[in-house]
Amino acid sequence: MSKRSSLERFLEIMPGALSWGIIIFMLFLSFKSPVICAVSIIVFDFYWIIRTVYLTTLLVMAHRKLSFQQKRNWLIQCQQLNPKYDWQKIYHLVIFPVYKEGLDILRPSLQGLKKCTYPKDKMIVVLSFEERHAPSGEYAWVLEDEFKGEFFGYITTFHPDGLPGEMRTKGANATWAAKKAKEFIDEKNIPYEDVVISCFDADTCVDKEYFGCLAYHFLTADNPHRKSYQPIPVYHNNIWYAPSFARLVEISSSFCQFIESMRLEKFVTFSSHSMSFKTLVKINYWPTDMISDDSVVYWKAFLYYKGDYRVVPLYITVSMDVAYARGFFKTIAVQYKQKRRWAWGIENFPFFMERALCNKDIPLTTIIRKAYHLLDSHITWAIWAVIIVMIAPLPILCGGHIFNQTTIGYNLPRITGLLLQFTLLTSIGWVLFSMIILPPRPPEVKWTKNVVIILEWIIVPFIILILGSTPALDAQTRLMLGKYMEFYTTEKKRK
Amino acid sequence: MAHVSYEQRIRCLLFYLSVAIFLVGLPLILSVALGYKFNYRKLQLTKTGLIVLKTQPPGAKIYCDNKLVTEKTPTTVNSLLPGIYNIRVELDKHYPWSNAVTVEAGKITRLEKIILFPLRPNIDRMDKEIIHGSWISLEENSIYYADKEERGIYISDLQGENYERIAYFLPISEPVLGWKLSPDYQKVLYFNTHQIGASYLKLHKEDGLDLPPFAINYEGDRIIDVFWHSDSYHIIVITSKNIGVIEARPNAGFISLMALNKNDTSAIYDIRTDTLYFFDAQQGADGNVYDNLYKLEVGPKTSPFKELIGRKANE
Repeated sequence: MSKRSSLERFLEIMPGALSWGIIIFMLFLSFKSPVICAVSIIVFDFYWIIRTVYLTTLLVMAHRKLSFQQKRNWLIQCQQLNPKYDWQKIYHLVIFPVYKEGLDILRPSLQGLKKCTYPKDKMIVVLSFEERHAPSGEYAWVLEDEFKGEFFGYITTFHPDGLPGEMRTKGANATWAAKKAKEFIDEKNIPYEDVVISCFDADTCVDKEYFGCLAYHFLTADNPHRKSYQPIPVYHNNIWYAPSFARLVEISSSFCQFIESMRLEKFVTFSSHSMSFKTLVKINYWPTDMISDDSVVYWKAFLYYKGDYRVVPLYITVSMDVAYARGFFKTIAVQYKQKRRWAWGIENFPFFMERALCNKDIPLTTIIRKAYHLLDSHITWAIWAVIIVMIAPLPILCGGHIFNQTTIGYNLPRITGLLLQFTLLTSIGWVLFSMIILPPRPPEVKWTKNVVIILEWIIVPFIILILGSTPALDAQTRLMLGKYMEFYTTEKKRK
Repeated sequence: MAHVSYEQRIRCLLFYLSVAIFLVGLPLILSVALGYKFNYRKLQLTKTGLIVLKTQPPGAKIYCDNKLVTEKTPTTVNSLLPGIYNIRVELDKHYPWSNAVTVEAGKITRLEKIILFPLRPNIDRMDKEIIHGSWISLEENSIYYADKEERGIYISDLQGENYERIAYFLPISEPVLGWKLSPDYQKVLYFNTHQIGASYLKLHKEDGLDLPPFAINYEGDRIIDVFWHSDSYHIIVITSKNIGVIEARPNAGFISLMALNKNDTSAIYDIRTDTLYFFDAQQGADGNVYDNLYKLEVGPKTSPFKELIGRKANE
């Protein structure tokens, strides 16, 4: 890990300090000035309900758009494009950085590619295994035997452990894979601007229209090399077999991605994503020493193009695995660690700010806006459940007899209760959507599972307590204290 | 200028609509929470108070300064300007309740302990026979009855059901001043000014206590009160002249523990600690007579009672 500058350390401390500052200040207020604390809670709750209604509307809009666009035959759309957009020159480079995933995970991902409507002679697939994982060699051999002749290029590579400047992260493996692919592309004399790279998690199964859709958007975008292309991740691979707890969390995560796809000004790449290979080479690939490589690659491109870079939402799904383990508590632990890794995305804030502040070409207003978006989402994530679940009752409990005899002391639980009941109403919409986005029920799963899936929403308050704010607060505290996280591979299971 | 899609325009509209709702709604919600109300006469915001009303039984109509409030109890009467209000609560077939209530700005006035008593109280006859005395044991959820003519002691549950005779007793002269159940629920004593009777209850036959009832005549001073000792065998007797102890057995003799200066004293007995609290008169240094409260410990660990008290009937 490179030595951090004072500015970078300050920026690392800032999010955690702000989150903890808000929580501690609210705790202090609940004892010292319960009236001001109560007013703050009502303001926050009202803000939260309006935000929830607003975001639920975006969810509806995004889902509507997905339903519409998923029915399209994107390859035909490409073929019908103006001849100036020569879709046939586009090559799709697909990278799967692999660590401990076995054949049960990798084979369906490659079969998903094989089923795609896009011509396979325009696809280059790279499977990049970690050299330190011994069984990888056997997996590579089996898969190569099965898929080698299916695509224009099929590369198997092994990422060496402990390369200088690298941490054990997915980004390091992906970068190794991209460099290997570059050698292949150079060898075949394919121009970089004609290559669109997709970096997929090992469990990613794409929609058969994915590459047609990606090619269409790439070809028709203004300045396609200054854009990343983000599909909507859903967790359908094993969703019917996952425990309620894990299923709910992942459905909620999908919803967040639906919503984010509508908020273009703060839309950042997440998990499996695609971009111009030319841009990727220019920005020197993914970071090799950061955990949130999927979003940092966006910030690298954003900085490289001096703020003229954005993410285009693709209203097409890529399906991944619900993270779970055997046993309830192990599943909670797996989910917690996964969410904490996602929340570690806050490392983007110091990364972006330190570089943006030194870059005179990016307008200050842009930097402030981006910084606000980063802080707003991460700090809200870290504090909302704490405020709603833990701090909201404190003025009543700690305010004493005098506060409880005041009008606001009497009204606080009633008003917050009413506001939160209204929020629960919006959850009904979420429950319905959770049913709509589910893949067809496998024949071996009983119909009663549909009922279970609806009823399991009752455990949402419990999930909020554990996985609402805690992982984000944990991640921010670690960054604040300089206890940097190491990459943790999420445990996944298939039936 | 980048092309802005239809969805993004809708989203933009929604965003600004949400901001507008927040900015307009928040002051309204906060004013309600803090108890502010717009005073149209003074054209200013005035801090109000509220009255929380709960009645037993619920569902009563509320009149605030003779104006009927829409909601029935339990409810909250909101947005009341500071002042005094005449609150009246009415429920059919119940006595109304009314009071002048002061409302302060930003404060709650709680009227949560209003009991509306029925015009015709709900009275049930509990006994099945003509009775001459009764007492309740809440520990056993039982009511005991004494029927002088039948010379019987009866028991029922607290609803007056499962009524049955459980013992006989020997009559004593009227008036009977009281009936007292022993701490072990096996005996009952009753007394008048010169007699103490005791009866063993049939409920405890299995304990080998199916003994006949008996009565002890006390020829001395007038008996004022009697208490069971915690051993359920000794009886603390308060007379007009002394405090003494008598065993609960036929022909038992009275042992005087101390003489009293005060006639017609009153006493309280704490059975948990076997302590008797009583009033007695004493002449002060100024020559006047004063009533003082005294404590007499008659527990089995207190000398001389440790030898006297604590023995059972067969010891």
